[in-house]
Amino acid sequence: MRKTEFLELLAFHIGPLSIGATVLTTWLVMALLTGLAWFGTRRLSVATPSRLQTMLEGALLAMQHAIEAVAPGYAAQLLPFIGSLWVFIAAANLIGLVPGLASPTDNLSLTVALAMLVFFSVHWFGIRIDGFKAYLRHYLDPNPLFLPFHLLGEITRTLTLAIRLFGNMMSLELAALLVLLVAGFLVPVPLLMLHIVEALVQAYIFGMLALVYVAGALQFHELKRED
Amino acid sequence: MELDWSTLALEALNFLVLVWLLRHFFYRPVLAVIEKRQAETAKQIHDAEAVRQEAETLKSEYTARLTKQDEAHAAAQARLDAEIAAERGRRLTALATEIETERRRRETLEARERGEHEAALERQALVLATRFAARLLDRLAGPEVDAKLADLALAEIAAQAPEKFDGLRDTLRAADASIKVISAYPLDEPRRQAFAAALTRLAGRSLAPGFSEDATLKAGVYIMAGSWVLMANLRDELGFFASGFEHGD
Repeated sequence: MRKTEFLELLAFHIGPLSIGATVLTTWLVMALLTGLAWFGTRRLSVATPSRLQTMLEGALLAMQHAIEAVAPGYAAQLLPFIGSLWVFIAAANLIGLVPGLASPTDNLSLTVALAMLVFFSVHWFGIRIDGFKAYLRHYLDPNPLFLPFHLLGEITRTLTLAIRLFGNMMSLELAALLVLLVAGFLVPVPLLMLHIVEALVQAYIFGMLALVYVAGALQFHELKRED
Repeated sequence: MELDWSTLALEALNFLVLVWLLRHFFYRPVLAVIEKRQAETAKQIHDAEAVRQEAETLKSEYTARLTKQDEAHAAAQARLDAEIAAERGRRLTALATEIETERRRRETLEARERGEHEAALERQALVLATRFAARLLDRLAGPEVDAKLADLALAEIAAQAPEKFDGLRDTLRAADASIKVISAYPLDEPRRQAFAAALTRLAGRSLAPGFSEDATLKAGVYIMAGSWVLMANLRDELGFFASGFEHGD
């Protein structure tokens, strides 16, 4: 059982690539976010910022401070990736509230894609900052016997990252759909309000976990530098 | 719950594109504005700090200048106090000296005035005494007093040493020298002889004095030989008495 999506009507294929509702909704979210960013930053003022600019600056500084608290000194490097995760997942989760649209995050392909990006970004930042050999060496720390557990942890945390977001968002939409079918019109409204909270919480959790994973890789570098 | 690899690949690509877009349209410009504002704020803080330091410097300089002025003022005040004290002491000393001089001058003046006053009183008293004595002697004057004064003159002549009458002897040494014995009342014969004997003894040669009367003598005798005179009468004694007091004797 799945919510009926308007954008499914626009699905098409480009060769082997299937452009379904999830991808189209993602493009819509990307367009909205980019449009909002462009609109909010087209007339930036240092002395007299507009309300929208103030809101954007506040959101950006909040994300920067959150990253700085977990990975001190790396906020500038991590902000584009982690901030985009927060913004995109929150927007993708919330767009499901629009009638005729479904959250793209209730699609396992998207959550796995994001989880894989987090997986690769952890190694990317680790290798970039630590160096290839030094970064790989931490898998042997404190003992080479821990290597399988390290590898298992890398895979499982990536899977849980993808499954957690997918499961929460899918179950939330499913629950709302079930309530709508059973109880009727307007009854799922409180559930939709819960959807808002859940959408923001899940975005925060996903981004924060990604940040913690990346910070874990950086922490090894920091510990080594302290030694 | 199915995994679509093409969707997965497209979503991964979509996200990376989104990261680039947000970085270009959101993070960079907003961070640039924030940095610019922070830079301006830092510049303002720096300027404010510079102004504050300048103010602190000026305050320190002003405080130092104020302290120096206070010290100079205190020193000037001390000098002025010392000068005032010295001037006051000098003027007090001068005033004390002036007061002492004035006091002495006044004491002298008062003493002189008192002396003059006392002298005037004395003179007045003596004048009164003289008048009183003259009036009293006028009433007492008579032949008895005249005789007594004649006897007194004789006793005086007899008591004095002959050397005290050198002037008389020089006067009487001349051959034509005459001597007069004037009395208020006529002298009896024994007294006339006594005067003649006494005068002869003084002159060292025989004399015959001429006797006459003058009522203005009141009582007593007046002996005259040339410029030498012997006054033993009330008129001359009172006159001598009065003139003696007028000369301060």
